[in-house]
Amino acid sequence: MQVFKLCLKIIYKNKSLLLIYLVIFLSISSIMSLSAANDTGTVNSFEPAKTTVAFMDKDNTPLTNGFKDELAKVADFADIPDEMNALQDALYFRRISCIIRIPEGFSEQFMAGADVKLEKTSIPDSVNNVYIDLCIDKYFKTARLYVKNMDGITQQELVQYLKKDLSVTASTELKTEGNQIPGTTLSNNFFNYFSYSLLSIIILGMSTLMLIFNNHDLKMRNNCSPVSSASVNMQFILANLTFTFASWLIMVLLCFAINYKNSFNLNTVFYIISSFVFAFCCSGISFLIGNLVKSRDAISAVTNVVALGMSFISGVFVPQEFIGSPVLKIASFTPTYWYVKANNTIAKLTGFTFDAVKPVLYDLLIVIGFGLAFFSVSLAVRKRNRSST
Amino acid sequence: MVFKHIFTYRLKCLLRDHENIFWTLFFPLIMATLFNMAFSNLGSAETFKPVDIAVVNDEQYRQDKNFKSAVEKLSSGDDRLFNLSVVSREEADDMLKNNIIDGYIIAGWPIKLVVNQSGLNQNIIKSFTDNYMQTVSALNTILSKDPGKLQNLINEVESKVNYVKEVSHSNAEPDNILLYFYSLIAMACFYGGFFGMREVSDVQADISPVAARVNTAPVHKLKAFIYSSAASIIIHLAEMLILLAYLIFALKIDFGSKTAYVLLTTFIGSIAGFFFGAFVSAAVKKSEGVKVGVLVSATMICCFLAGMMYQDIKYIIERNMPALSYLNPVNLLTDAFYSLYYYDTFTRFFTDIAILTAFVAVFGSGTCLIIRRRKYASL
Repeated sequence: MQVFKLCLKIIYKNKSLLLIYLVIFLSISSIMSLSAANDTGTVNSFEPAKTTVAFMDKDNTPLTNGFKDELAKVADFADIPDEMNALQDALYFRRISCIIRIPEGFSEQFMAGADVKLEKTSIPDSVNNVYIDLCIDKYFKTARLYVKNMDGITQQELVQYLKKDLSVTASTELKTEGNQIPGTTLSNNFFNYFSYSLLSIIILGMSTLMLIFNNHDLKMRNNCSPVSSASVNMQFILANLTFTFASWLIMVLLCFAINYKNSFNLNTVFYIISSFVFAFCCSGISFLIGNLVKSRDAISAVTNVVALGMSFISGVFVPQEFIGSPVLKIASFTPTYWYVKANNTIAKLTGFTFDAVKPVLYDLLIVIGFGLAFFSVSLAVRKRNRSST
Repeated sequence: MVFKHIFTYRLKCLLRDHENIFWTLFFPLIMATLFNMAFSNLGSAETFKPVDIAVVNDEQYRQDKNFKSAVEKLSSGDDRLFNLSVVSREEADDMLKNNIIDGYIIAGWPIKLVVNQSGLNQNIIKSFTDNYMQTVSALNTILSKDPGKLQNLINEVESKVNYVKEVSHSNAEPDNILLYFYSLIAMACFYGGFFGMREVSDVQADISPVAARVNTAPVHKLKAFIYSSAASIIIHLAEMLILLAYLIFALKIDFGSKTAYVLLTTFIGSIAGFFFGAFVSAAVKKSEGVKVGVLVSATMICCFLAGMMYQDIKYIIERNMPALSYLNPVNLLTDAFYSLYYYDTFTRFFTDIAILTAFVAVFGSGTCLIIRRRKYASL
């Protein structure tokens, strides 16, 4: 087991470098998954969805105040100064979904039955926009019925009537299937980001190892040792898997540390299995890259391109449902896609019958297939390299 | 003649440094492609699509002509609110369970709405059902006072009135994917720091053998530095133009209509990046590895604060720590592109550019002050 021991020694010698990267990758993935998880928690009753708007009332009459009260049921009001750039920025960064401005004299004209409009700036075609429009329409359409049909109605009376009418609502029933486990979004995100960190760190570690072994003189020396090449290869792969297993273990423990409250359920067991399978595949990828890359400088380039590239197109950084289907088609040629897909399915699992779990198992089988393929290609590359020296 | 000599040989040298070319040209190009692949569909997340609903086809629904016509009216046409299916209660339950619909409605008084979560779409359905009931309530109130108004009211309810006028504060849509690309250019500009770093290393005789050779030549050190820097800057500028062209023509990223200003910003950004790297290299008197480490981490932190990984960071800093957003050169560059695209006025753009130019002056003169007048007793 000389080769195996040597590998561990080399990794141990580089531990500070690898640990720095481990810490960096892990903190990035933790920050990202925490910020991406908007924990919805368990919902027991129907709640109105609220969006944030900037509301500027230049008119300030009973009618517009009544409108503001009604709008408050569906929107929060943002505290943003009435300056063009500040409002535009807030809209761009989606702090607010629209800017509503009631011009001066609006109520007076409205009461007179004139065709008046309030000004709105919004994100075109957005869902929030439709939602706010419905609320505006509801209030002023109902108000108009009174204005047109009750002669001499005052603003105060009108607001009283509206208050009574608008308190009538449909009854709602919330039907949830099974118990959605709270915090499962966080685990899902974390294990998805996990693929980026794990792949980066394993490629880095392995290629550091391979660079040393691929040193020309060392290679010549090793080739004339009385150890069969099959044994060297196997020991190498074993060392690779050991390193992979260690990195994987650290990350899984970290996930427990971050999300310990919601970690003790069957979903987590499946996440761990799928991440383990993916770690095996990463090991194969790193073995292949280690055999192909010749210089130290190229390592960081390849690490970044491979790890970032697969993560971007496979739905690690951006959820798969938001990625266009042609991109996902390309992504399906990478193991990360199948791993993320398996995780997303696991997140939705509530029952664990074989039928429910089957799609996850299929995805993971594909990931294993990728792993085996990477290992076999690497062995072929090694054989070619050996004969060329 | 000296200029021509140094310049051409430097150009050749730099172009053969594959690693540098990779990080300053190909890496940004690859990132741009990945951004484009991952983000191009992101806008669809907030785009409104008709909500899928079902109405239970029971006796009450068939009887209630008004409600029926109200639902049907909103479920037809191109700008419809709903995709409607009229089904039995069991089917509706099944559809809800399989997430084919967002909720279903049972006619009656009060109208009943069944959903499986409280999302925006569910609230839009509720908004409709509430609205219907509220209108009926208003009609009843009015009719109780004056039953003669019935015909009037029916016409009124049918009439289409709109109380909203869409106004836009700028010519550009608030498409918030763009900022990622803007900060990517800013990052690429600051990766030009690798060139600056190399130029400084290659002119200080105690750092690299090349510099030792250069220093023995009878050329003024500042001149040697400026001439070879010119080669670096030209290469980096060309790279930035390639990136810009790729973004505009291949990926169709919208930079607004002020093309000349976009070029100016890229130009200043590229020079700022170069001098930033030169300054780091001159100020950090450690090994090559440490210099690269400092440069890359400084750039990455600036990029993070400018919103490249998570764009809300930019806004949070702008609101809470405005000074920091003006002290971060990457943010200034990102912000300059953003202002050009999004604002109709130039105030913020010129503020950004002015501060950026000041940064170039500070980094440039700082570099010169540190590396000038070095004498080496022995090399």
